[in-house]
Amino acid sequence: MNTRSLSFRLVAWYAGVLTAVFVLLGALTILFLQRYLEANLLDTQARRARQIAGTLISATNRATETALPAQVERLYSPEANERFIRITRADGHLVYVSGPPKDARYDPARVPPAAAGTHTRKLRLADDSLLIAAISAAGADGTPYVVEVGASGAGTAATLARVLVMLAAGLSIAVCVAVAGGFVLVRRSLDPVARMASKAEAITQHNLSERLPVVDSGDELERLAVSLNLMISRLETAIDGSKQFIADASHELRTPLTVMRGELESLAQDRQLPHATREALGSVLEEVLRLAEIVAGLFALSRLDAGEAHAPWQRFDLGELATTTAGQMSLLAEDKKVSVACESAPGVTVEGDRARLKQVIVNLLDNAIKYTPGGGHVSLSVRRDGGFAILEVADDGIGIPAEALPHVFKRFYRVDGSRTRLHGGAGLGLSIVDSICTAHDARVEVSSTAGKGSTFRIRAPLAGDPAASP
Amino acid sequence: MRMLLVEDETKVAELVARALRSERYAVDVAADGPSGWEMADAYNYDLIILDLMLPGFSGAELLRRIRRKNQQVPILILTARDATAEKVANFEAGADDYLTKPFAFAELVMRVKALLRRGSVPRASVLRVADLEIDRLTQQVKRAGRRIELTPKEYALLEYLATSPGRVFSRTMIIEHVWDQSFEGLTNIVDVYVRHLRSKLDDPYPVKLIRTVRGVGYGLGESAEA
Repeated sequence: MNTRSLSFRLVAWYAGVLTAVFVLLGALTILFLQRYLEANLLDTQARRARQIAGTLISATNRATETALPAQVERLYSPEANERFIRITRADGHLVYVSGPPKDARYDPARVPPAAAGTHTRKLRLADDSLLIAAISAAGADGTPYVVEVGASGAGTAATLARVLVMLAAGLSIAVCVAVAGGFVLVRRSLDPVARMASKAEAITQHNLSERLPVVDSGDELERLAVSLNLMISRLETAIDGSKQFIADASHELRTPLTVMRGELESLAQDRQLPHATREALGSVLEEVLRLAEIVAGLFALSRLDAGEAHAPWQRFDLGELATTTAGQMSLLAEDKKVSVACESAPGVTVEGDRARLKQVIVNLLDNAIKYTPGGGHVSLSVRRDGGFAILEVADDGIGIPAEALPHVFKRFYRVDGSRTRLHGGAGLGLSIVDSICTAHDARVEVSSTAGKGSTFRIRAPLAGDPAASP
Repeated sequence: MRMLLVEDETKVAELVARALRSERYAVDVAADGPSGWEMADAYNYDLIILDLMLPGFSGAELLRRIRRKNQQVPILILTARDATAEKVANFEAGADDYLTKPFAFAELVMRVKALLRRGSVPRASVLRVADLEIDRLTQQVKRAGRRIELTPKEYALLEYLATSPGRVFSRTMIIEHVWDQSFEGLTNIVDVYVRHLRSKLDDPYPVKLIRTVRGVGYGLGESAEA
């Protein structure tokens, strides 16, 4: 699970806040309940102490106080009731103290003496607590006594523990339900985001006319989709504008190029001019031709991009086309002492513009031969792979550095400046290959190791059965 | 021979007219669609050269009007666009040939000549340039009486150069005639073939027949120009 996804974070926050609120509420509940239960218990003890004072202490005096223990035992039987009772004279003389409880959780003899006056206190014991209420009482002869009545806090603690368990269980169930519900809700509301994202990933410069799905929900996501679509529209306009600009510019450049070429051609052949002048004019003419070549390449690219009417498609044998083309270019390779091996499986039929696809093979072979030093090897192969035709041009030449690899199909991209001067060309060959492939629903890929050679692979759909699709 | 050139770019028109006049053709120039139509309607030209982008009405419209009146006159289209579909449409409308700017003027002249003699001049079966002999039927080449063995492509290249001795052919023209359009931009292949052809044709002989004009291209034999 992606812990950084919006749905995960929303639900995590939601669950965290919910848990915190529940814990706080639970703690307060426990605290108040404890206070209430203890106050209740102390109240009972105080009432009992007042009872002892009212019935027994008020009827006794210093002489008869020795009879008090027996009276208390008889009337209250503190051990049996797990109750702590102590009667002390104000001067500290212990008159009576109850015995230890049945389970001997505490030793009454060791309970510290109470302060004078009416008060309550809580004694913490090892695994229990003793809640004691103390009151001052006067005997019949006016002797001041302190009566203490206490009870164990174990019952209160057990009640609190049960409540705590119930609260904890309730809390975890509530949080689980809330998280599950929250997840479903967040998923549902963020679902359009996932759909928009997958659509946006599918939009490239070749299908900019497509738009993101807009859910008519009236919420922020609808607004986002609409805004993104508007942005794509603006991008489309801008890219169309630049394509149109390239088409117009290359078109407009042709007339001046015609004039320059014409004037220079007639001058370069004018025998009355000195040889050096004619050579210089020829050099200028070469650059004019290169310019014309670039203009033609750009124009061809802009037409391919625009998907403008191409020659009618036909079915043909790709292997045969590759073999013929390689044969036509063999002298170019021989001249550089590069060997070209051609291997094609029979019957690999594709459908498309034969002249354009031939141009692809020519460009790839030309590149391979150009960038392979003498003694190197170039191999051209055509085979079938599932429903696709694979055309591969591999060489063991200078290769392409890894950092340049993603850019080789870009217009005017050059791996380095030295290639320009050494090999000439317009820098559009591979862009044209890429555009022709795109126009044929084919993909071109390159893999290369600098110093070891490059492989260009084209994957084009095979032609359908002619009987099935007339 | 009198021809009409309809081209609105003054400089291009001047250049084309000059190139054609130097070949001893009479050339009339019109700068827009309406005046082009007026002239084509008034006189029976031997050939009409049309630019497609014209003020007034387009070259395509002019082409249709001329064809409605005259089925025979050869028409050559000049254009700055080379979209295949458009080319097909213009051929269907009655254009005989098509040149994309920027073109080599040698090519324009060649095309004009081809259009003018089309169907009328039988092709000579043996071409001769100096002591070189090319037999088009047997595809055999002899120089100073000795056989020279050429590969089919070398032969095609030589035969193309020999169709107009003295003229310089651009690499693009050579590629289009000897190879095909897919090789456009691959002009170095021409250089390689010319080098091979030279080694067989010229190296053993004191007089060199294949001529290089830098920036322009290759020719066979001495220049026809002064």
